[in-house]
Amino acid sequence: MCVDRAVRNACTRWGGVVLVIAALWCAPAGAQKNPVTNPVADNPAAIKEGLSLFRANCSPCHGINARGGGRGPDLTSGRWNHGSADADLFLTITQGVTGTEMPAANFEDSEIWTIIAYLRSLAPPKSTAPVGDRAVGEAIFQGKGCPSCHMVKGRGGLLGPDLSRVGAGRSAAYITDSIRFPDKDLSTGMIDPNSHFGPARVWDTVTVITATGEKIVGVARNEDTFSIQLMDRRQNLHLLSKKDLQKVNHERKSMMPAYAEDMLNATDLENLVAYLQNLRGD
Amino acid sequence: MRVLALLMLFVLGTWTSSRSQVSYERLVQSASEPQNWLTYSGRYSGWRYSTLDQITTKNVSRLALQWAFQSAELGEFETTPLAVDGVLYGTSPNDRAFAIDAHSGRALWRYQRVLPPKIQACCGMVNRGFALLGNRLFMATLDAHVIALDTKTGNIVWDVTAADYHQAYTFTVAPLVVKNAVIVGTSGGEYGVRGFVDAYDATTGARLWRFDTVPGPGQPGHETWTGDSWKAGGAPAWLTGSYDPELNLIYWPTGNPSPSNYGADRGGDNLYSNSMLALDADTGKLKWYYQFTPHDLYDYDATQIPVLIDANWEGKPRKLLVQANRNGFLYVLDRTDGKFLSASTLGKVTWAKGIAPDGRPIVNPEAIPGVAPTRVCPGAIGLTNWFSPSYDPETRLLYVATTNECDVFTGSPQQYRAGHDFLGSIYMPDPVERPSGSLKAIDPLTGKQQWEFPYFSNPNGGALSTAGGLVFAGDSDGNFIALDAQTGRDLWHVQLGAGIYSTGITYQLDGRQYVVIPVGSTLFAFAAQ
Repeated sequence: MCVDRAVRNACTRWGGVVLVIAALWCAPAGAQKNPVTNPVADNPAAIKEGLSLFRANCSPCHGINARGGGRGPDLTSGRWNHGSADADLFLTITQGVTGTEMPAANFEDSEIWTIIAYLRSLAPPKSTAPVGDRAVGEAIFQGKGCPSCHMVKGRGGLLGPDLSRVGAGRSAAYITDSIRFPDKDLSTGMIDPNSHFGPARVWDTVTVITATGEKIVGVARNEDTFSIQLMDRRQNLHLLSKKDLQKVNHERKSMMPAYAEDMLNATDLENLVAYLQNLRGD
Repeated sequence: MRVLALLMLFVLGTWTSSRSQVSYERLVQSASEPQNWLTYSGRYSGWRYSTLDQITTKNVSRLALQWAFQSAELGEFETTPLAVDGVLYGTSPNDRAFAIDAHSGRALWRYQRVLPPKIQACCGMVNRGFALLGNRLFMATLDAHVIALDTKTGNIVWDVTAADYHQAYTFTVAPLVVKNAVIVGTSGGEYGVRGFVDAYDATTGARLWRFDTVPGPGQPGHETWTGDSWKAGGAPAWLTGSYDPELNLIYWPTGNPSPSNYGADRGGDNLYSNSMLALDADTGKLKWYYQFTPHDLYDYDATQIPVLIDANWEGKPRKLLVQANRNGFLYVLDRTDGKFLSASTLGKVTWAKGIAPDGRPIVNPEAIPGVAPTRVCPGAIGLTNWFSPSYDPETRLLYVATTNECDVFTGSPQQYRAGHDFLGSIYMPDPVERPSGSLKAIDPLTGKQQWEFPYFSNPNGGALSTAGGLVFAGDSDGNFIALDAQTGRDLWHVQLGAGIYSTGITYQLDGRQYVVIPVGSTLFAFAAQ
């Protein structure tokens, strides 16, 4: 394909204009091969086919209904990180996104258009734009002590997930749930079930009792049949052999407190979510 | 004196050369030469058991690394190496292969197949190993060829095309040699291939027979597919079968119908998907079949090793076939005629409420997936999978690696396109329960569990049992483990740094027993110090 990665990146920066120029500049055959608008837009059969292809190939990261999974962004928000034109989506799928977990996909062009037709057929939620004040949200983030566990752009703690790109990869609903009900989803991301690479690591709270009766509570940075590597609340690492432990208990809950209404009112939550949604790694 | 020395060298050379000729008779009698490992499962009965007993429950704690061989291909290293008179022959991802000195781990030759781009291999560019006959090694390749290599040089002796890789036919299977035939089965159940089991002449590479695992028009079983669904019906045959020389029957298991997770467009039982086939070794004719999961909606390939056991059944000696199946049941069949004898569960099963006396599953209607997600146990990865079980005739236990994962399934129609994914939607691991696994020791005749050794993660490696009273197993987090075969107690383990996707073998050389396991990109050899 004549549209290479460099052009793709340029597209991201300057929008569709460069793409059109590049397409004209490249061999005409290439331009014909990849029309810049979707030839099967709104075609019901194509949408159905796109649904199947999406579920088989994309849903492990983007969720079964494209509303965002543990690893990829919500694709129903109407907000696209790498260009919103059909041609941009086409390129994002064929080329992947450098610096993220989005790989280049091995589809035929006609299949990609069905996936785009499917994605366009999904009704966006009523309100997708952040309604809060992101500056106020940042102050809340700092004031509530969130950085003691969460890293943002190289500053902050190590115990919880790095949030530097959280807005690019998570929907507002997911972020809201993670604040109000942090125990709801402890996974780092849904694995691709076809890749058989073993289970995803989780942000589960683990309590161990050592042979001498000492209790250590933390997040497992790694674990196997015979050992566990725990990070405690003070971010100290405990490298433990299970044969030296009386008990290893997976609590199935997050170490993060659940910020209910009495700890974070609705307005503060909106502001905090607005701040987090704006963290997009740029 | 010099002449005598030359003569002795000649005699010795001839002897060594004739020893390295592995005849069919040696394959049949492989149990009588435990110093070697001549077939994928160690012997035709699929036991993956060795009578070597130098490494025991007493000295296994002193196992130490003897050598390591770098295959130079990182990935799922799924090979079962063959050990023949001091040389190991193995394969690694991307269709590489090697012969190494079994004393030292030093390579004698390496082979690298030049593969075309766009190979469609669902689950990694893997290969599970060679089969051997005479001075030839047989390999089934990712571009759907079957090739013969010379044991001494790795040079290609013949190379035949079995199917078209553009249509997503691939091979990952270790072939099975029976008499002068090389038996292979295709992969590609994720892409709507039409499955087959093939036999090739070991001398010339000419195809001797083909058994289509999806019957065409006019063939018995064709009526179990609606419309044209048979054309992309799947039923691949991607794991090595077992063989009974007395009955002259090859037992070859088959995989899922395509599309794997949507069944409305392929009404019927979808024969011979998810079945055990008993094929005449000379003609490939079907003697009998038993279908474990008719009209499968969960990707429950039956591609697990058939284990052949002769035992008393209800007071009478009987030739049995035991299979721990991905669908969660442990089956006992009569291997002379395929009669269903019993089934017991290996763990939590919700897709079926049991197996009726006639051998048909009692399907749970609430577990049929639609567009809305449906939670089903076991998950698509199965309660067990392709990794080898082991049968120990001393303990009379079957050692099976199991996974306790349940999945959330959906189903939606999909149009078949040659060479492309044909899944009919997808499954996801249940987000509530974290998948883990265990090695279970089970009485294969009653299904009763003797012991269980828990793994932190769901396994991808199987089990090897030995007359030293040991079971060697590997977990997905890189631990190679020796357990007491009677009790399941952990006697020794070592962290080898990558998930284990294979099962060990053992051989003896110059009075020393070795245990070998492929891990990551490396083959590790251990012996007692």
